[in-house]
Amino acid sequence: MSDVVDERPAPDAAAPVGAAPPTRRVAPLVVAVVALVVGGLFFVLASADGDRGATAETPLLDRPAPPSAGSLTDGTRFELSRRKGSWVVLNFFTHDCVPCVREHPELIEFAEQQRALGTDGAEFYSIVISSTRDEVAQFFAERGGGDWPIVFDDLDFQFQIDFGVVQVPETWIIDPDGIVRGRIISEVRADFLSSTLQRLREMRA
Amino acid sequence: MIAVSVNGALGHAGLLLVLAASIIGALATGLAIATGNRRALRQAPVYAGLIVAGSAIAVIAMQRALEVRDYSLAYVQQVGSSTTPGIYNVAAMWSALEGSILLWVAVLAGFTGAVAWRFRRRTDDVLVGWALVVMFAVSAFFALVSFGPANPFAAGPTVPVGFDGPGPNPLLQNHVLVLFHPPILYLGYVGFTVPFAFAIAALITGRVGEGWLVETRRWALFSWMFLTLGILLGGWWSYEVLGWSGVWAWDPVENASLLPWLTGTAYIHSVLVQQRRGMLRVWNLSLLVATFALTILGTFLTRSGVVASVHAFSAGEVDGYLLGFFGLVVLVSLGLIAWRGDRLRAPGVIDSPVSREGAFLANNVVFTVFALIVLLGTVFPLLVEALQDRQTVVGAPYFDRLSMPIGIALLFLMAVAPVLPWRKASQELLRDRLFWPAWCGVAALAAAVLAGADGWAPLVAFALAGVASGAALRQIVLATRRQGWRGLVGRANGGMVVHLGVILVAVAFVASNAYTERTRLPLEVGEVVEWEGHTFELVAVVVEQDARTDVGRADVRIDGGSIHRPAITTYLQMGIPIGTPGVRTGLTEDLYLTIAGTTPPAAGDRAVVIEVFRKPLVLWMWIGGLLMAIGTVLAAFPGRRRRDPTAPVSEPLPMSEAIGTRDEEVAGV
Amino acid sequence: MSSGLNRRLKSWPSWILLLFVVVGLLAVGATRDGGPRTPDQRVDSISKRIACPVCQGESVYESRHPTSVNIRQVIEARVDEGRFTDAEIIEGIVAAREGQELLVPSADGVEALAWALPATAFVVAIAGLVIAFRRWRENAERLGVATDDDYAIVAEAMARERLDGTCGDT
Repeated sequence: MSDVVDERPAPDAAAPVGAAPPTRRVAPLVVAVVALVVGGLFFVLASADGDRGATAETPLLDRPAPPSAGSLTDGTRFELSRRKGSWVVLNFFTHDCVPCVREHPELIEFAEQQRALGTDGAEFYSIVISSTRDEVAQFFAERGGGDWPIVFDDLDFQFQIDFGVVQVPETWIIDPDGIVRGRIISEVRADFLSSTLQRLREMRA
Repeated sequence: MIAVSVNGALGHAGLLLVLAASIIGALATGLAIATGNRRALRQAPVYAGLIVAGSAIAVIAMQRALEVRDYSLAYVQQVGSSTTPGIYNVAAMWSALEGSILLWVAVLAGFTGAVAWRFRRRTDDVLVGWALVVMFAVSAFFALVSFGPANPFAAGPTVPVGFDGPGPNPLLQNHVLVLFHPPILYLGYVGFTVPFAFAIAALITGRVGEGWLVETRRWALFSWMFLTLGILLGGWWSYEVLGWSGVWAWDPVENASLLPWLTGTAYIHSVLVQQRRGMLRVWNLSLLVATFALTILGTFLTRSGVVASVHAFSAGEVDGYLLGFFGLVVLVSLGLIAWRGDRLRAPGVIDSPVSREGAFLANNVVFTVFALIVLLGTVFPLLVEALQDRQTVVGAPYFDRLSMPIGIALLFLMAVAPVLPWRKASQELLRDRLFWPAWCGVAALAAAVLAGADGWAPLVAFALAGVASGAALRQIVLATRRQGWRGLVGRANGGMVVHLGVILVAVAFVASNAYTERTRLPLEVGEVVEWEGHTFELVAVVVEQDARTDVGRADVRIDGGSIHRPAITTYLQMGIPIGTPGVRTGLTEDLYLTIAGTTPPAAGDRAVVIEVFRKPLVLWMWIGGLLMAIGTVLAAFPGRRRRDPTAPVSEPLPMSEAIGTRDEEVAGV
Repeated sequence: MSSGLNRRLKSWPSWILLLFVVVGLLAVGATRDGGPRTPDQRVDSISKRIACPVCQGESVYESRHPTSVNIRQVIEARVDEGRFTDAEIIEGIVAAREGQELLVPSADGVEALAWALPATAFVVAIAGLVIAFRRWRENAERLGVATDDDYAIVAEAMARERLDGTCGDT
């Protein structure tokens, strides 16, 4: 079985039988290369984890949150790196995204729950993705809430790019050391968010 | 009491029928061949019939479930919605993983049935028998996937009254092409199972001569045609829907369809060398195996989510099955080729690189290297991840850079190969035959320069395209002059028509990539803005709402004539705005309008910023695709004056099929 | 068309003329000034080289995702500022993510494989062809004199060639 497949177009299989067969050193080599390539490919594919990106996993998880900056409603600069020392919850949203609108009452409730915890409570921030200040003002005027800081991602879009936010809404949890501890894609519920935070606090303690 | 869905039960029954008929069919037919039981062998078409019936039941059940929005099924919960319009609801069947596997099962059943029907008078032939066994085995695998990890009829969690699903991905419900692109692409993918099955059958029976090639020539050609059409329709869909004005983004899913196309194209060329000269047997078998294995690998890549892609479906355990099947296919094929190695050695020599067969070899080298590059680029992020545990992306610029020299090499071969004779070409002959094609190239180059084209790579491509079309036309003119209309049919002449189509596609692709111009135009209602010799007038800003979508649309009148309507549509269930372009198609250029940004215009807006792309010659890509399809059909039906090519030269085997016309071959068994 | 004229037309001088025309046209086309790159063209070429950080395998140029639109705006702003080169702009954008958004593999480290492997494959393939042709030539010499069979084959092939119309004289 010297003459097996040959993925490279060196069709030495087509060499004649009429004459004395010439040396057949090439064929085993080709076979070895093909087997190696296919085997390697198979190994790489088999060891790759599927479903990347579809889950809430992020390369940032358990790593320091990026030092992103944005601006507050009144235009002052907001720097995430200065928020160390307390738990921080970021909610990315736009004024016109339907799931954001749907989850809004839950966020109001969550903010209240955290406020009730006093100094242990997490700081809650809304990160505005692409809406204008007017649109956001109208959003909170109509739907309530917004008695927490609202950060506009208008300094080179640092938040979106650094956090790699997929579709809004997204909610991120950052611990007092500035380490990313959680990422929730799509709508959240207040109870879930609060209990997750509580669990993270206990794990840390 | 048990609220089991009728559709679910019916679908399960259908899939079970497919699974059982495939497994039993494969075993019974294989056993019948082994024991020489002719009566049992004649039963093979019955199993094929059962497979067709089972898959038809499953498809009908799925369509019915989608039609009545049967939310007891998990799949319908995922892709069904009361607001999806009728035709997209039909297409919802293949808008997610489970349904697309079901479509695969159905198409494969169709091909199995077609093979059984086509060869129904030859069921005694072990070659046909083994081919059917392979078809059954492949069918059994996909039925197993569909019955197991990707079950479209799995019961979903109980839903409250009044539940409504999200419907298919919004991108899959705003252009009619989603109805045609996936099924046609699948016809191409799955179609290559037939030549693959015959190749394996030839290896098993040892009848590795040219007989099986002749049997499967048309199957391979038609599969190739559907694959080509499917890929081009995908490009068209991307152009008409995605709003970035391009047709090809080197996305992993697109690459997955390109890979079998590349090896398939290499095959339909090099198979001519085998039919003519009896050489390259191992090579041709390898190409067929590679084509089939790459369709499986491509499905794995795109369905398992290991590579990031816009088209990727999220999947469960299907990836393990697909990867395992890929490994099995490669292993079995390699083993069989190794086992039959002694018979695969063909006598004969290729005398000169400057000959038709030499050109085919060069073509094969280029296509294979191209396929390797595409495969490498597609899995490269995984490779880096495995070696260094970090994430990378390999994107269009990489592929563009590497495919440019390859494209030019292919155009060069297309220019020269059609005039080359078999065996050996003399310098004088080349000078004679290439003369007018070469001047065609000069004319094309001159025309391009006059039209303002610049950059050496596009110009070289245009010039070579001119030579290639000259060479193709020369063949067609000579053949029609001699044979009348029959000069248009047959594999050489039809092939030249395909070449003309390829050239059109290539020229349009190069031109539209190299010479796209883009700008942003702020428009106000009633105001006329001029750009690049065209005028744009915003006629109105329209906002429409229905149960499913909010549409913000800008009606723009171009050149005082027709009105085009770029829009941004927000699908309420998804909450994500999606831009759709308005395209004015023309023979020399397209004007492609999209609304800039992602915020849809609001009611009462008087101004909109429009992004305008001017892209030359795009229309010719679709015309070229049509020509390729027509050419393939012409190539598949040889003129009656010429018999099917047989394999006379090289067959030293004692077996009679080597001399085989079909009848002789039946008699020989 | 008389064959004498035809033959004279296709002789060397006209091929040399053709060569000159081609070189001339290519020189004109390839060197002519396409005008300075417009800001739009710069934005396009830069955005084609950066992957959209959140979408699945699209470049910023193709993607219509808000994040990509935003990155495009950043690029536009920096291009308009006029003091950055393309490379600097790209560097500024991808630095935050450790180069994960570059769409073209770099030429060093493991990523050089992306360039080296295709080149190797091509060289191996060409070498394979050269070896195969050499072997065929040796075998052809060893085969020696053609038999009657061989002549029959040639005759048949030539007959088919005529039918194909590939062998005809213009």
